[in-house]
Amino acid sequence: MPSVCFYFEVHQPYRLKPYGALQVGRDHNYFDEKLNAEVLRKVAKKCYLPANESMLRLIERTDGRFRVSYAVTGVAIEQMKLYAPEVLDSFVRLAKTGAVELIAETYYHSLAALYDKDEYGEQIEMELKLIKSEFGQVPRVFRNTELIYNDEIGQLIADQGFDAMIIEGADDVLDWRSPNFVYRVPGREMKLLAKNYKLSDDIAFRFSNKAWADYPLTAEKFAGWVHGQSGAGDVINLFMDYETFGEHQWKETGIFDFLRRLPDLLFTHPHWDILTPSQVIDRYPALGELPFHRTVSWADEARDVSAWQGNAMQQRALAEIYSLGSAVRRRNNSHLLALWRRLQTSDHFYYMATKSDSDAAVHDYFSPYDGPYDAFIHYMNVMKDLNLSVLAPAEKQIRL
Amino acid sequence: MKILMLGWEYPPHISGGLGTACEGLTTALARRGIEIDFLVPRLFGEEDAPHMQILGAASADSMPGARTPAPTPVQVPLAPHDPLSRLITAEPALATDPIFTAAAEAEAARAGAAALGEPGVRMIQVPAMLKPYLDQKTYRELIATGALHETAIAEILASKILHPLPGPPGEMTRLEHAHVPGADFSYSQESSSGAHYGEDLFSEVARYAMSATRRVQGRKYDLVHAHDWMTFPAGVEIAHRAGAPLLVHVHSLEYDRAGHGADRDIVSVEHQGLEAATRVIAVSYYTRNLISRVHGTSLDKISVVHNGVYARETVQAYTEQRSSKGPVVLFLGRVTFQKGPEYFVQAAARVLEQVPDAVFIMAGSGDMLPRMKAMVEELGITKSFRFPGFVRGAELERTFSTADVYVMPSVSEPFGIAPLEAMSYDRPVIVSKQSGVSEVLRNALKVDFWDVDKMASQIVALLELPELRRVIVERAREEIRHIHWDAAAETLIPVYESVLRG
Repeated sequence: MPSVCFYFEVHQPYRLKPYGALQVGRDHNYFDEKLNAEVLRKVAKKCYLPANESMLRLIERTDGRFRVSYAVTGVAIEQMKLYAPEVLDSFVRLAKTGAVELIAETYYHSLAALYDKDEYGEQIEMELKLIKSEFGQVPRVFRNTELIYNDEIGQLIADQGFDAMIIEGADDVLDWRSPNFVYRVPGREMKLLAKNYKLSDDIAFRFSNKAWADYPLTAEKFAGWVHGQSGAGDVINLFMDYETFGEHQWKETGIFDFLRRLPDLLFTHPHWDILTPSQVIDRYPALGELPFHRTVSWADEARDVSAWQGNAMQQRALAEIYSLGSAVRRRNNSHLLALWRRLQTSDHFYYMATKSDSDAAVHDYFSPYDGPYDAFIHYMNVMKDLNLSVLAPAEKQIRL
Repeated sequence: MKILMLGWEYPPHISGGLGTACEGLTTALARRGIEIDFLVPRLFGEEDAPHMQILGAASADSMPGARTPAPTPVQVPLAPHDPLSRLITAEPALATDPIFTAAAEAEAARAGAAALGEPGVRMIQVPAMLKPYLDQKTYRELIATGALHETAIAEILASKILHPLPGPPGEMTRLEHAHVPGADFSYSQESSSGAHYGEDLFSEVARYAMSATRRVQGRKYDLVHAHDWMTFPAGVEIAHRAGAPLLVHVHSLEYDRAGHGADRDIVSVEHQGLEAATRVIAVSYYTRNLISRVHGTSLDKISVVHNGVYARETVQAYTEQRSSKGPVVLFLGRVTFQKGPEYFVQAAARVLEQVPDAVFIMAGSGDMLPRMKAMVEELGITKSFRFPGFVRGAELERTFSTADVYVMPSVSEPFGIAPLEAMSYDRPVIVSKQSGVSEVLRNALKVDFWDVDKMASQIVALLELPELRRVIVERAREEIRHIHWDAAAETLIPVYESVLRG
């Protein structure tokens, strides 16, 4: 009996304000509170609230046979509390239905996995604590920032005791394998759930694309494609940004109607059901080991880490922030630690990408700045101030 | 498709970017099978334009080696309502008198022989053709008293071409900013601009309109394409007589050059050309919007064709020949209102707080130079500033090559080719958002010209962050290869086609 597994990413970074060279040494508030509040409230109104409402109704109407999973970053939850607490309440309501699974990631949506393993572990711990306290759940499944994954990360997460991890089903890694089976990390019990990127991106990216041959995408058509996979796998993993509903794909595109109608249409085929990631790994055995010969992510055409480390500016900025680790820890100041960690959020480096064509359009869509160069300048000015004012010798330090 | 293009200059004898732009555009158009007659006020005999027929309005000569000789002119009767007819009929000698031809031939001979830019040569020719009965003495008197300006302009204004805007007429002697219409290569024209265009620009414009009309009489064109306001009266007249659609191409507006100090008469000539045109071409969206705002032209009527540049190898020479220890920030262009030099100075003062050994070079001359020097002194940053004046040739190359950052803080720049020049020297550039070139560049830093804090921040960043410089320079090197005239021609030809379809 094959299954569909939905997983949605919920994340909002603390965006930096345009921080010029002349502010260095004078201005120690780095984040654009106004913008961050605006974005969170806008996304809450367009996506989080109506989408959560839709999910809740679907769960009730199907008596819990419709199921979904979320990863909600710590920085997103912090900002919900600050700017739109009703959003967090609605997630809590969903979590209590029994049909919603919370999965873990790094609290700061960071790239620590690639730069600072101890820090990585701590950010995962923080997120686990937060999910327990906010939602009363203990995640068994992990997703790394932007589905960044390689064999080493697989080992680290297996060491952390997770039962499964969510990954991108990149063609060159899967090779002859189908994404519609469960795999496991080489030499470990931890399972891997690979995103079916074709069917996921049909919803997330192509849903409203009028130039697409399959436009318009109806729930009937999509359910037909899923049913067409019968006998060709155990699970179809549909992983995407939660903002797909109402933000990337506006309400006017019909995305909410699509969502409302899809479960019933999926259930018209008696063999198919909808499971959460933990239910998937409990039911389906791993077909075999899945080794990775490269680092994969779900970003850009390249599906690698070039979205965050592709150019010299990004590499410099990343080297800079992670080099501060020991100095920050020595200060033993929780505010400073939180500040340093907010500056690790991967979005800061994503804005500095110098990609071309369609990738650039996606980066621009998310960036609050005039382009990658300004993003880098603001970030490095903040680094300069952090070094000069915050990490300076004791007598010159400012209080946080 | 055969078109008549009306220009004001053609390389190698150019005073601004307009001639260069015309060369690039016509070359790319001709490569795509567009047949072009290109008309300029005068030929110097050194123009190299094998791709088209290049004609001097003032002489009967066409370019040696050009495709076809001028056909025998067919006399087109002058309609009494023609804008120029009154002016021409008022000067019967001009239309038929052999003196006209003789004067024109003499001019061509003198122009070939005389050193370029010798004021006496041309200033005599212009009134000699407008007023063949004037002797040199009377002419000099008229110039001295300013009466000639009034006379020539009065004649233009009397015709239907020009309807001055309400208000007092602009001051005729205040035309220095008009010496360089369409100029982007501001650093290359200072010494010759006065000589090249003369004080009596309006009479030149009128003369060009008349002689151009005569020059192309009887020729058939699918459309007439006129570059910048000096050629608009000629374009309006010729298109009207030939019954051909008129395209006017705006490389710069009077507003760009002078802001609110714009000369009303020039604005008026611009306005008439824009009104009469079937279609308007702007060199940027920035200019498109400005045309619509200043002249009320409907945006639907204005198509954008971005300028290109000639591909050239990047220049690595000179990079070691630094004259200063600190990093160098460069402003290079006319030191005039349009180029925003004061914002450069203000940004410099802020940069020096962060990078005390930075050196600022303001290369170029212009009416605001003394004020800029005074401002630098007031700010107490004289030691960090250099004013080398107008630079050219090897000195220009050295100036570009030894700069760490090039800044173009223009207040209003229709396109702005100088940043592309700086990029070809592998220099990172900062351009104002009030420039057309900022629309086509991804790999430049952009700033509002008045936002001197941000400008300073960008300069500091480029001086302090080698990774920023490296990424920008590497990507810009690739980018400028795609900003070429072929792309401009490919945008322009569909515009021609749509105009011809009506």
